[in-house]
Amino acid sequence: MSASTNVMPFASRLTAGLIHRPALFLWVTLIICIWVAAWAGAVNVMPADWLALLQAGDDQPLTGGAYVLWNLRLPRILFAALIGAALGLSGALTQGLFRNPLADPGLLGVTSGAACAAALTIVLLANSDIHIPISLRYWILPVTAFAGAIGVCFLLDTVARWLTADSIAGLLLTGIALNALATAVIGLCTYLATDEQLRSLTFWTLGSLAGASWPLMLALLALLLAAVWYVRRLVNEMNALALGEATAAHVGVNVRHLRARVITLVALLCGFAVAWCGMIGFIGLVAPHIVRLVIGPDQRRLAPLSMLVGAIILLVADTAARTVAIPAEIPVGIFTALLGAPFFLVLLAGIRKGT
Amino acid sequence: MSPPTHHETLLALQNVTIDLGKRTFGPFTLSVKAGERIAVLGPSGAGKSTLLKLLARELTPADGQATFCQRHLKEWSLADLSHRRAILPQSHEVAFGLPVELVIGLGRVARTFDPDITNIVRQAAELACAGHLLERRFDTLSGGEKARVQMARVFAQLWDVEKGLLLVDEPLAALDPGLQFSLMDAIYTFAAQRGHAILAILHDINQALQGFERLIFIKDGSMTGDYTSQQITIPLLEALYEVSLISAVSDSGEFIVAPSKAQKSF
Amino acid sequence: MSELNKHMHDVESSPTRRKFLLQVGALAAAACLPQTWVWAAESQKKTARRIVSIGGGLTEIIYALGAHNELVGVDTTSLYPEAATKLPSVGYARTLSSEGILALAPNHVLATEDAGPPAVLRQINAAGVPVTVLPANDKFEGVLDRVTRIGALIDRPSQASQLVEKMKTDWQKVREPIIARKTPAPRVLFVLSHSPSQIMVGGKGSSAEAMMHYVGAQNAVQGFNGFKPLTPESVIAAQPDIVLFTDQGLEVVGGIDGALKLPGLAQTPAGQKRRIASLEAMFMLGFGPRLPQAVAALDNALLKAMNG
Repeated sequence: MSASTNVMPFASRLTAGLIHRPALFLWVTLIICIWVAAWAGAVNVMPADWLALLQAGDDQPLTGGAYVLWNLRLPRILFAALIGAALGLSGALTQGLFRNPLADPGLLGVTSGAACAAALTIVLLANSDIHIPISLRYWILPVTAFAGAIGVCFLLDTVARWLTADSIAGLLLTGIALNALATAVIGLCTYLATDEQLRSLTFWTLGSLAGASWPLMLALLALLLAAVWYVRRLVNEMNALALGEATAAHVGVNVRHLRARVITLVALLCGFAVAWCGMIGFIGLVAPHIVRLVIGPDQRRLAPLSMLVGAIILLVADTAARTVAIPAEIPVGIFTALLGAPFFLVLLAGIRKGT
Repeated sequence: MSPPTHHETLLALQNVTIDLGKRTFGPFTLSVKAGERIAVLGPSGAGKSTLLKLLARELTPADGQATFCQRHLKEWSLADLSHRRAILPQSHEVAFGLPVELVIGLGRVARTFDPDITNIVRQAAELACAGHLLERRFDTLSGGEKARVQMARVFAQLWDVEKGLLLVDEPLAALDPGLQFSLMDAIYTFAAQRGHAILAILHDINQALQGFERLIFIKDGSMTGDYTSQQITIPLLEALYEVSLISAVSDSGEFIVAPSKAQKSF
Repeated sequence: MSELNKHMHDVESSPTRRKFLLQVGALAAAACLPQTWVWAAESQKKTARRIVSIGGGLTEIIYALGAHNELVGVDTTSLYPEAATKLPSVGYARTLSSEGILALAPNHVLATEDAGPPAVLRQINAAGVPVTVLPANDKFEGVLDRVTRIGALIDRPSQASQLVEKMKTDWQKVREPIIARKTPAPRVLFVLSHSPSQIMVGGKGSSAEAMMHYVGAQNAVQGFNGFKPLTPESVIAAQPDIVLFTDQGLEVVGGIDGALKLPGLAQTPAGQKRRIASLEAMFMLGFGPRLPQAVAALDNALLKAMNG
């Protein structure tokens, strides 16, 4: 009994904090998480290492903890937060587009498209005689996966439009069919793959933020800022979509354009995440859900707050993934669900108690 | 706001037909002037909602000309159209349980600069008897409350324009008589003050006869009549619905119609 | 085997091992004080070599070369000798952590092609720790080649050539009677893993097939390369004389009785005569310095199975 009495005040305090000043609360949480994550890791980082970062010049290469901090840990922490934000935003947009709180960016074919392209690249490229320079090999998989994610998204949009006019329910159904098709292609590739190719495919599908680097982080930051600027103009129309497609058109929303824009955004954001980090599930689904539970479904707040919640969940999960089994690393996907699901339940409990 | 004096044509249909699957609807020829109150009557499945969808630009004509304010309907952008024409739908479900205030405000989503929106939303809600619902979530409302909120959204959409067009698809059918009466009254007041035309699909013949000056009959996919309310006779209505009707005049002089058990052949 | 057992014994009692543990302890303690933290790369010349080995076969070679006191970390497949399991684990070879490995302050990372993700290997390399990826070549010659290469990499060329010579002698001893044998080659089906409806078997070019050839057996499955699932019908069509499992696999399936219940197996000659053999997975398929012994053990196991 005492356990439940302890959980309840925490839950209601959490929800209270979220409800009254959600953005401030989440920003503070995120900054604390970044701060803690910067200190946590296999290599001990000392205040002196932070100073070394500030003092370092071209002639003085970083060593020890400062090297790890600057080249491995900081880019990874920020990358994790940004990927989480991208996934949270994609989730909010997808759920808004499908008018369904259970929708996931995967429904738009992003994940299966990327996986399909990656599998095809690994198997077909190895069986053809095309020679790729070593320096390009590292880039080939993420780039083709990104292209695959975007390609399947737009293929889905086009096919759905052609088969089922402009209905969003039609988009959902076409998405299910196309996802199944992509899964079949992945299965076929897996079957045809040699052990070595399977290995490459495993690396890609396991989902990891280990590939983080400053250029990648900055590229994602630029993409995300552009997306945020763009989404600001879409959120009102996304709200109108909740009235139904017909009514949204009556109040002056061009649903066809809105749909194309949302699909483009989700394809870019989620495609980037999938291409560079593999499959990281759950965040796109649960981050908007958490926000909706606490502050309601208004997209004007849902979209930015989902980004923050997604960033926090993935950052915490990744920090756990890289510190729990030092010096080993545990796949991050395990922790997104392991941390996200109980958090979600605690919130549900808090809300239930509140009403 | 003074009522408009001259009646200009808002909407004009010239021999418009619509293909819907294997079925062709129309031809419809009809014009709607600012400030008019038109009821569309006809049996279920006759094509009333199809006509409304054509006017709402959800369906595109297969043939003929449809113009709104002297411009081809298809040339209008959805945003521009939404500033002059609002639709009150038959069903009123909203996903996610948005707050009522937001739902009403969404009527004005296509306006890029809208400083007075809070005020308009509140006034529109009050006119639609929904002022007390503003703080609620839409998914917690009863059917009647949802109808009022949707009506307030439509009011907000055409609040600060004149000579617009209000399309109504029997939104009140499921409500109790008292509420039906007060909401219909709110619609008349709202439209009259601004010179908006109302075109409403109705099931209730009495409501049509009492509140509307013009009645359009739709049967088997085409227009079978366009009458003023004075021209309506029992045989005309009987032919439209293929039932026998009886009529009575109320104490206050209103003409009341009801179906009768007697069989007639048409 | 005795040679390696001796090594294991050495590990437990060796003073260098204890010294190493003390070093790690001191390092951990030192790490708490900013001014005494030392990054291994700086003192590379002064301190001993520190190796992280990713791949069970490589770890075995390092132990066989007597360089176990230079090992500071291994992956989860490094299960032999048992002492290796007591070293810090860098986890599953396919989900390595760059920071985790760097925290062990290695000055060399030895890895099989299984190691990854590629980005992590790049990051470790970029941090100034050389990463050597040794190609997987599941042949006796491949093992000798790996021993020689690792010997050169960790400055133990003489130990490496000694080990190579010893392995060659053992090899000769094991292989001679097999080559001389006149009995027809038995058809062997190697089962890697299974599900209720299918079993995953070793096809052409798999490491299991290489082992079969070394003991004069033939692979009952010829239709595909590598490890693939086989339908019950194909299992019957393969007509294996013997079904070979890993110890771990046989245990999971519930011993010989459980194995015979796997789809299709009961209808094969092997199933009807209960000819089921098994060997420890890493021993049989590890392609490490124990390869000659593994071939001998497999030969024994198959002969025993054939003769009941």
